[in-house]
Amino acid sequence: MEVILQGIKEGIGLILSLDPELIKITLLSLQVSLSALFVAAVLGIPAGTLLALKSFWGRKTLLNLTYTLMGLPPVLAGLIVFLFLSNRGPLGEFQLLFTPTAMVVAQVLLGFPLVCGLTARAVMALRQEVYDTAAMLGATRTGAILTIIREARIGIIAALTTALGRLIAEVGAVMMVGGNIQGKTRVLTTSIVLETRMGNDSRALGIGIILLLLAFLIMLIILKLEKRSFKDDSTIQII
Amino acid sequence: MTALFRLSNLSKTYGERRVLNVEQLEISPGHIYAIMGPNGSGKTTLLRILSLLTFNTAGQLEVFGEQINWSKSQLLRLRRQMAMVTQSSYMFEGSVYYNVAYGLRARKISERETKIRVQESLALLGMLDFMNHPANNLSGGEKQKVAIARALAVNPRVLFLDEPTSNIDPTSSVDIENYVKRINEEHSITIILVTHKIFQTRKLAKETFLMWDGRIIEQGPTRNLFHDPQDTRTRRFLKGEY
Repeated sequence: MEVILQGIKEGIGLILSLDPELIKITLLSLQVSLSALFVAAVLGIPAGTLLALKSFWGRKTLLNLTYTLMGLPPVLAGLIVFLFLSNRGPLGEFQLLFTPTAMVVAQVLLGFPLVCGLTARAVMALRQEVYDTAAMLGATRTGAILTIIREARIGIIAALTTALGRLIAEVGAVMMVGGNIQGKTRVLTTSIVLETRMGNDSRALGIGIILLLLAFLIMLIILKLEKRSFKDDSTIQII
Repeated sequence: MTALFRLSNLSKTYGERRVLNVEQLEISPGHIYAIMGPNGSGKTTLLRILSLLTFNTAGQLEVFGEQINWSKSQLLRLRRQMAMVTQSSYMFEGSVYYNVAYGLRARKISERETKIRVQESLALLGMLDFMNHPANNLSGGEKQKVAIARALAVNPRVLFLDEPTSNIDPTSSVDIENYVKRINEEHSITIILVTHKIFQTRKLAKETFLMWDGRIIEQGPTRNLFHDPQDTRTRRFLKGEY
């Protein structure tokens, strides 16, 4: 209990002290996870929509594969990227291993299936009449598909927040391909691992609190950006 | 006068099951047509094929004088001359204004003109006061009125109504029937109405088609069909036996 209380105290202290090292780590965490989320969203939202709307050979298999990859262990994602980027790997010549770029790539691998799979679920939950309504009002095919995405946006935002939650809290992949190098690839999660290993439990907990606050702040911003979607979000009343 | 729709030997099958089989059908502009029949008789399938939302399996389909080849550009051009209101119309997330403006924005009509037409359409349906309300917070009857305003805003040649009053209260039903009549008379919009309601057909339709097992078993002026039905199945249907 003492460690926890000490950790909370230290966390608040760390925030207030504006420690330059910690600021750097926090900014890198944000940079890596938000970049990965951006790429995962740019690729995952259209891919999920396509999987939901287009019928083609192998669609079901692709959907099942996407759902399976939603639970991809971070360490495995890290290992795959590591094998590709290591000197002996097919992309070794680019010398990307142990750089933030490698960390982003590994996190995209984790985020993409989540965004894609949950977007597909959100779009599939809509009824045929959304397309019919848009088409009968004169929308082009692309216009109608964009309307479907718009109508599924609450589910898509949930996909993005879920993915971001996973990325910002993930340690296995970034540790493996980033290497936790001080001043270069150290992020909040890898710092927690390091501090715990060094026996600085309360400092580790303090960094954990910062991580939690950060995740909370990002979620707030995303929800705020889409507040119109949630303004009239009526709940199911169970009496 | 050119027929708006001309169908010959048109059929639709799902696997082995033939759900629609229309030998000949012609719909001329200007009137209200009713399509009646028991559940599963193919009314909605026919309406979906006429509105180019469902492919026919075989036969000829001509819409506004054009043979249908289902190309993207043809579908868009022809659908932009139609509008549809279904029994529980889908409202896009957003305000009533957003919903009614949707079709106009899709046609890239200026925002100024859009505003005028949205207001006119809503006023016609007595819904102007609801313009800034979230569309999905409206009652069933109000939503149907917005759906009709949304359809009217795009100034269609044909308006399809698929059981537009089946989920709403009697007062709103009567309101909507009156609006439909007015739209047809004042705006010269051809209306194709799928309905279960015999009184609604008698009140609105100039001509009625009666469907049975995917076929049109009887058609003609509504008055004749009700007073002197030729087919025993029509007689039984009109007596409410189905």
